[in-house]
Amino acid sequence: MDDDEAELSPQESLRLIEQQSSAASRRLTPDPRALYVVWGIAWLVGFGALFLHHGLSGRPYAPISIGLALAVLFGMMLLAWAFTGFLLWRTGAPVRGVSQQRGMMYGFAWPIAFFTLSMIAGRFGAQLPEAEKSLLWASGSIMLVAVLYVAGAAVWNDWPMFAIGVGMAVLNAVGTAAGAGWHALLISVGGGGGLVVSGFLLSRRAPR
Amino acid sequence: MTPELDPVIHAQARLRVVVTLNTLDEGDQITFPGLKDLLGMTAGNLSVHLGKLEEAGYVEITKAHRGRTPVTYVALTRRGRLAFEEYTAAIRTLLDMTAAPPSGDA
Repeated sequence: MDDDEAELSPQESLRLIEQQSSAASRRLTPDPRALYVVWGIAWLVGFGALFLHHGLSGRPYAPISIGLALAVLFGMMLLAWAFTGFLLWRTGAPVRGVSQQRGMMYGFAWPIAFFTLSMIAGRFGAQLPEAEKSLLWASGSIMLVAVLYVAGAAVWNDWPMFAIGVGMAVLNAVGTAAGAGWHALLISVGGGGGLVVSGFLLSRRAPR
Repeated sequence: MTPELDPVIHAQARLRVVVTLNTLDEGDQITFPGLKDLLGMTAGNLSVHLGKLEEAGYVEITKAHRGRTPVTYVALTRRGRLAFEEYTAAIRTLLDMTAAPPSGDA
């Protein structure tokens, strides 16, 4: 009889069950907190640049052109997407089945949503002055993110994700009513900062 | 009455295998190498234990192809999930019994 067959005391068994199941969940499910922190930083910097371009009273706070501000914002988004893809690929690679299909269908919702937004905002934005055009894109994007967070929370039964989605929707509505500068400020500090704080404050979900 | 512990599960290596498979959603399977890495076991050792679990009807082993490479997938069966639930319940009962019950008026 080798070590593997060694008799366990009930205490040892229970400890082994707890340790092994949390170790396995850590390896097999992506940690949403890492995603919150990465996306939070991307928004903080990206929408921060947009805020400095717009200012609160229509005058820029820093000599940042709209092109540069958008380049910073999209650059940060691309980095955050790359990190997200890497994390999902690393954790999900050895598993196939229902959770993979669920994740894939949910994943497709993002490009579908943003492609649709680009068609809508691309057409109607052309009629608008610069600040309003920028706000159309930004508020449309945050609306999609908020709704997809709420939907994702329903898919994975994740209450913190639901709360974050609702919070984003509220910030987005208030910011849109207040104008481009305020919107960028709220999403940068409230949305991005809020995501970073959530990432640090939330404890990892207990394994089911 | 002392609850019986399922001898198929009540061994360190197989318990770790079952616990790990139980963290997967029902309807999910994990590749053999993925499971091996997660557990830090050798392929030979893991195969032996999976064999015993499969014999008991607790584990289902599926051979598939990813492109041209053959891949082996492992998952807990419904029966395996149930056996693990019963095992965990039995362990808890045993622990409750060994923990001295408080005297009624304490």
